[in-house]
Amino acid sequence: MGARNSPLGWLRQSFPVDGEVLREMSSEPIPNHLKRWWYALGGTPAYLFIVLAATGISLTFYYRPSPEVAYESVGRITNEIRFGWLIRSVHHWAANLMVLSVILHVIRVFFTRAYRKPRELNWMFGVGILIVIFTFGFTGYSLVYEQLSYWAAVVGTNIAEATPIVGPYLATFMRGGVDITSNTLTRMFVLHIGVLPTVIVILLGLHIVQIRLHGVSIPDGEAKKDAGKTFPFFPNHLMTELVIGLSLTILLVVLALIAPAPLGEPANPNVTPEHIKPEWYFFAMFRWLKLTSFKVGVLGTMGFVGIFLFWPFIDRLIERAFPGKGVAMWIGVLGVLTLIAFTIWEAFV
Amino acid sequence: MESVKFKQVVIAILGFILLGAFVVVGYVESMRRIPDAKPRIVVSAENEKCLNCHEQQSNARTVAQQWRESTHAKRGVGCLECHEAEASDADSFTHYTETIATVVTPGDCSRCHPAEFEQFQRSHHADAGNILGSLDNVLAEVIEGHMPVVHGKRLASPAAVSGCKQCHGSVVTPLLDENGDKTYRDSGVLVLDHNTWPNTGIGRLNPDGTKGSCAACHNRHYFSAAQAREPDDCGKCHLGPDHPQYEIYRESKHGINFIAHKDKMNLDAQPWIVGEDYVAAPTCASCHMSATPNQPVTHDVGERISWTLRPPISEKVDAVALKQGKDVMPWKERRANMTDVCVQCHSQQFVGSFYKQYDDLVNLYNDKFGRPATDIIKSLKSNDLITGDIAFDDKIEWTYFYLWHHEGRRARMGAAMMGPDYTQWHGMFEVADRFYMEFVPEAREAVEHGRESGKQAGADAAQDVIDKIMARDEHLWIQGKMSDEERAAREAASDAFRKRYAGSE
Repeated sequence: MGARNSPLGWLRQSFPVDGEVLREMSSEPIPNHLKRWWYALGGTPAYLFIVLAATGISLTFYYRPSPEVAYESVGRITNEIRFGWLIRSVHHWAANLMVLSVILHVIRVFFTRAYRKPRELNWMFGVGILIVIFTFGFTGYSLVYEQLSYWAAVVGTNIAEATPIVGPYLATFMRGGVDITSNTLTRMFVLHIGVLPTVIVILLGLHIVQIRLHGVSIPDGEAKKDAGKTFPFFPNHLMTELVIGLSLTILLVVLALIAPAPLGEPANPNVTPEHIKPEWYFFAMFRWLKLTSFKVGVLGTMGFVGIFLFWPFIDRLIERAFPGKGVAMWIGVLGVLTLIAFTIWEAFV
Repeated sequence: MESVKFKQVVIAILGFILLGAFVVVGYVESMRRIPDAKPRIVVSAENEKCLNCHEQQSNARTVAQQWRESTHAKRGVGCLECHEAEASDADSFTHYTETIATVVTPGDCSRCHPAEFEQFQRSHHADAGNILGSLDNVLAEVIEGHMPVVHGKRLASPAAVSGCKQCHGSVVTPLLDENGDKTYRDSGVLVLDHNTWPNTGIGRLNPDGTKGSCAACHNRHYFSAAQAREPDDCGKCHLGPDHPQYEIYRESKHGINFIAHKDKMNLDAQPWIVGEDYVAAPTCASCHMSATPNQPVTHDVGERISWTLRPPISEKVDAVALKQGKDVMPWKERRANMTDVCVQCHSQQFVGSFYKQYDDLVNLYNDKFGRPATDIIKSLKSNDLITGDIAFDDKIEWTYFYLWHHEGRRARMGAAMMGPDYTQWHGMFEVADRFYMEFVPEAREAVEHGRESGKQAGADAAQDVIDKIMARDEHLWIQGKMSDEERAAREAASDAFRKRYAGSE
């Protein structure tokens, strides 16, 4: 049998890709500073995304997106389906860790100024991913249809309603009417399992393509230390990612065992809970909205998101106005401290 | 970052830790109860032989299927573990290669459940079969039924066989032929006397000398604890005009809560502890038998009962035993046991006040109707104004029976289990109606009849008993002898009521 007729030959014929190119792609030299764990936070969300997709698909086998049976189906997953509690708890904790790791990744990118030219667009893709992840969180816990889900949906859509000009239309679209009904739940479900995954896959793809096109940015300090030294992606960096993946899997399983995903009281539109609190990553925004009027709160949030999205360009303007003063850095410190302070404030009130 | 070799070691260590975490997950999952999961059952080679035949036969297929879903099946307790018998047993027979018995007795169950057996045998439930000679027994065998002697053998009363004994229990005996020998079917199966079997009465007297039937509550062949915790399970016997505990429960807040929240009752839990495994409502079992954080489950249903509500005049539940010189659990201890159940949901003050209400109602019934009616009946009998040796041949005996056995019990049981309609309209109202409109007039009639028949002294004595009772404060109203103050108070209340609802003066 000639080489062209062997299974390998057939495969090469079907996928006419140069092996050398593949080898080169997988052996991309990685800048030496990535040997430090702090710089591996970008891979963590990627791994968690795979976990979330796998557990999410498993949950979809049993979840039923209708107000009459949604809560009951989550209860069934938790109490009756084999390993249902594990899958749901891993999904719950992976989602929380995803939010945490992305926030840490953004902070790292911000303070190492990795968004500078020519990577402005990649920063914007990253901010887009962050917004999508928050939306994932919001739609995800709405699906449980417990009291928190229902009243979070009420508050969330009321916030959307306060958006200038388009607010009422946006809220009506989100709810599928004037109230939270089965239409709302169906919309949350479609967003959570269809629209958002598609959007995040596109954004992640663009984010990674950008990294490959521009290479990993080298922070000022690190550049001096490592002076252009690199190490191969395979096996060195892949092993680092494997260590992170294994550690995260252990962490997720342990968290699922000691703190399984909670299931509160079923949604009751007639009973407003004494304390409505969203998930922890919305605490800062929630506190901000409590401090201001709804309109000011929403406008302020929109302004914050706008500044955040276009930060690479704003940073350049600040640098031009105050060269070498580190003003942008101090604005970042102030922003992070404010977010932490608001989060803690909301958590303890 | 460290060398590739170091990372390989770290990956290996993490791999082992992950493996350990998965082992823990597996353990947690195996300990979890999955409601719809098919149980893994254990069938021994001997039991396999039973199942091979019986699962093919229509008369036992469902029985085998029920057993397959039972906890017994999961624990390897099969057909022979329960039906196996000694050749010397009164009801044993050889079935193919095995010596077995049809009737599984509490003695058989005690091989694995000795504590439950011991508790049950000393309980009032176990003595339910000892009703021979009671008024209920006279009704079923003489008044409702008939027991003629045919070929020198007294036949059983169908009313007792299909009625009383299905709850109280029969004396299970093999069917004997003309020569007094046991009879067998062609298959070798011993035939049991149809007047005594089938029967799952709670006080059944079994061939092995044990009392009762575990299947009375734990229906064969599921033998389910959850089923025994259902009020319906007790309702097979504890219902009807003379002891409507089931209906009273359904009417009570307890029963209403149970029906509304049955899905939260966690009836399958082991152990089933009120306040821990369930909080929605108590069932009959919760109060009378099941575990609390302070008490284990008991199969002696009397351990939490302080009054006996069955006789014409209620007594504390230990009174008869104490009169007989027996050493039994004092009623105060039993009430403390029940209070421990109550306080899992209610405050001590709430429970104390409930017991005061309950005691007051029982005392009212006893003092105003139960004891007076009994004194009058005793006087009529002792003075030969009605027959003393034949029950139910005088109308007033029926009236008296209705008064305490039906209506009087309903009133007392209604108060015991918080069924207000049974205490009032099905209870005290009917007791009063029966006493004033039928019982007392019939007693006076018997006295008059006696006087006309020349029994002057007896009539005077009985008359004296009736008059003294009716001259008491609580009965004066019917003779129009109310005090002026009381009459004025009643009239004022009546006027106010009319104004409130009818608008008339």
